[in-house]
Amino acid sequence: MSSCAPGCPEYGRVSRRGFLTLAAGALAATTVFGDTVLQTAWSREGAAPAVLVVLSLRGAADGLNLVVPHADPAYWTARPRIAIPKDRLLAADAMFGLHPALAPLLPLWRDGRMAAVHATGLPAPNRSHFSAMEEIEDADPGSPARVGWLNRLVGRDGDTDPLHALHLGGPVPPTALLGPHPVGAAPAVDDIVLAGTDTGGPDDPRVRSLHTVWDGVPGPLGEGVRTAMRMVDDFGPVRATPVTPANGAAYPTSDLGRALAAAARTIRGDVGAEVITVDHGSWDMHADLGTVDRGDLRNMTADLASSLAAFFSDLGPVAEKVTVVTLSEFGRRVRENASMGLDHGHGNVMFLLGAGVKGGRYYGSWPGLTDTAQADLLVTRDYRSVLAEVVSSRFDASPAAVFPGVRLETIGAMAPR
Amino acid sequence: MHPGFEPAQYDATPLPSTLERLLGNRFGQGWTPALGAAMASAGGARTWFDTQLASGPDRFFETSRGWWPSLTLSAAEIWRRDRDEVQPFWEAGFDHQRWCLARRIHSERPLLETMTDFWENLLHVPAAGEAEAFFRAAYGTGIRKRALGSFAELLRFSTTHPAMGCYLNLATSRKSAPNEDLARELLEVHTVGAGNFTEKDVVDSARILTGYRVDVWGTWAAAYDPGSHWTGAVQVLDFRHDNRAEDGRSVARAYLDHLARHPLTAERIARRLAVRFVADDPSPALVGLLSRTYRAHDTAIAPVLRALVDSAEFRRAAGRKVRLPEEDLVATYRVLGAGLRKPVDTDSAAHVSIWQCEALGLAPFRWPRPDGRPDAAASWTSTARVLQAFQMHLTMAGGWWPTKEIDLRPAASWLPEPTLRFDLLVDHLARSILGSASTSTLLKSACEAVQVEPDTTITSTHRVVRWGMPTLLSVFLDHPAHLTR
Repeated sequence: MSSCAPGCPEYGRVSRRGFLTLAAGALAATTVFGDTVLQTAWSREGAAPAVLVVLSLRGAADGLNLVVPHADPAYWTARPRIAIPKDRLLAADAMFGLHPALAPLLPLWRDGRMAAVHATGLPAPNRSHFSAMEEIEDADPGSPARVGWLNRLVGRDGDTDPLHALHLGGPVPPTALLGPHPVGAAPAVDDIVLAGTDTGGPDDPRVRSLHTVWDGVPGPLGEGVRTAMRMVDDFGPVRATPVTPANGAAYPTSDLGRALAAAARTIRGDVGAEVITVDHGSWDMHADLGTVDRGDLRNMTADLASSLAAFFSDLGPVAEKVTVVTLSEFGRRVRENASMGLDHGHGNVMFLLGAGVKGGRYYGSWPGLTDTAQADLLVTRDYRSVLAEVVSSRFDASPAAVFPGVRLETIGAMAPR
Repeated sequence: MHPGFEPAQYDATPLPSTLERLLGNRFGQGWTPALGAAMASAGGARTWFDTQLASGPDRFFETSRGWWPSLTLSAAEIWRRDRDEVQPFWEAGFDHQRWCLARRIHSERPLLETMTDFWENLLHVPAAGEAEAFFRAAYGTGIRKRALGSFAELLRFSTTHPAMGCYLNLATSRKSAPNEDLARELLEVHTVGAGNFTEKDVVDSARILTGYRVDVWGTWAAAYDPGSHWTGAVQVLDFRHDNRAEDGRSVARAYLDHLARHPLTAERIARRLAVRFVADDPSPALVGLLSRTYRAHDTAIAPVLRALVDSAEFRRAAGRKVRLPEEDLVATYRVLGAGLRKPVDTDSAAHVSIWQCEALGLAPFRWPRPDGRPDAAASWTSTARVLQAFQMHLTMAGGWWPTKEIDLRPAASWLPEPTLRFDLLVDHLARSILGSASTSTLLKSACEAVQVEPDTTITSTHRVVRWGMPTLLSVFLDHPAHLTR
């Protein structure tokens, strides 16, 4: 039961003004999931008809080794030590093939439930992790307001109901969730409790005591405490779901595995989660990126693939409403550096998985690679065109409202609504 | 005023002045009655601040250094202990975090610890399980040694230190293809800031820095290697050098000194200090004053801090900063009088402190990116933070975890007289824990939490003392005045 009914003044304040306060900043990782952050934005009351999971590969993943352009000769000359051998690629077509560590996702690819879009990114290079992340997640180049595209998505109908927003795994929601709709956060599903209370209900002595102090406190701290107390009330159905993954799904014991297991539990609890974001990484491999069989890139890729595979098997039939999209702030250089790593580049690959995806194939327009020290993978498709297609395919949302001022192109990777 | 809840005054417990409480919370790791007494014996809060800027006894630093063997070992010794299965190398990074938390709780040089933390977060090297763990305690100790000196000296130290070299890949950079990682973050994060340099600047910045090598995952020897240094003319911003010599150390030094003195660096450091110690949105006038002071004193830190605490904006800023997770934990230990003893195993309080901190959202030096932890309220008021803080406060107030190698006050010790009305006890606790007087709201909240009336007589056998004290203390620890500084 909610400790503050809809219509009370505090309720309205949280819904309209809670924004930057709850959502600002962009803190990654370090609570329960270590280097992985999970956050959830809640839809209006009750069940969500569609769920979007945005998985950010933080630190800028190397898209050229995840989805290898094996028919481009420059790929081979630029990467004498770290290239993925052609005979090891999976699901290869005439141009591309997948890193072999993505093997756990092959069944999804073959079922037509997973696709890749190459040479995507921001229209102009931005090699700063921090400002690129902000630019990518704000996704509204014409406006100085700090409102993220996911906040525009969940707030699309302009209602003043407080969209409950929750962030599992890390302390602070990312820029993409920033905006006028409140966002919550919690380390893990079972931690959404108020210490020292039995029921957490309004008659609990400690709940009353906290309300006495906090109901009148202005600013982000006051709003954070009030939203936390409401969230404890409303999150009950998720806490009641089993901790054990369904359908025998086996997550890796990684931060990403734990975060996606919590995401699956949240979706199954069906309290209206519409958008869940997960930050994974670091993919920032300036040195010792490794080879096809060992090293950081191989290990991270294997973790990514087995976590996502477990997530879809855990969801079972519920997966029919869940779409996953992966995103990095930018890509890496074409040519490997002296430290057997890759410095900051530009274009990258995006993966699409799950509901609505016309999978089993590669999308995008290949610009061709150049093998020079400063050469980047050029961007031929604005990443927002890909996201817009996901948004219009899965939600009753206008892409123009979520990505204002962006010239959107057709990618063709999502089935129309 | 809530009817029926008129606050009482327990004058036997002194109230600190606004400045005493403010300086204690911003530069003293959290005001406590004991810190107030130390300020009084120093001749007042502002004089205490000056004495803290000067050198002084540093006994706890020396004592606690012996609590964790890894803190004083060389990288090669840490590596050998790892291979001999004595201690995994990443625990060396964790030990440094533990040591810093212990120092913040107990050091008689809290201002020095505060500034060490400030610089360790600007010149951020994570204390986690990568190559930098081998050098992390030495890096932190070196920062501490310079924390009240000049930024130019700090920047020379941090940029060429093997911990930074391992973290941002200077340690393996070669002249054939200079690694841009540290070169970029040096400009963007440590000095002039984003938007103030070009990609060509990054390339030449990387070339200048080549040569500072570490034999990673080998001997861990750190040495300058002229054979790895890129030679040829370089230009970064308005710094130019012909860079002809094989040994590029003098070029690197001139470059770093140039960056430290750059007006954009001055502005950036000034703003960061103001955000850390004044408010999330400091005025341009204050930032300008601090920036000018920094430049007028050739990057010296103490004059900037004096200008900061003497500004009207600082004096008005009490309570305007939300405590970070680590600040909340340290202040909670301090105000509850919880004392750490030398750890003996993994259950010891000084050992588990970093897990307490991590549960709140972030342990010291664990921010996973080079830009250092965020410092504004918006980042530290999430629902996760709030719920975990309430959990930690109650657990500490109850003495339920940690329980080993920790000195805790018995519940009855919070009762200043054998018999006391509840409203007077609330005022005593407000003064002792928050450094402020009781209010009607606080009194009502305390009455609700432990279900007594303001005029209830409390004795050492009353249920509030016997089993309600954790809940009662939490009223103060969960209060806005404890969650802010």
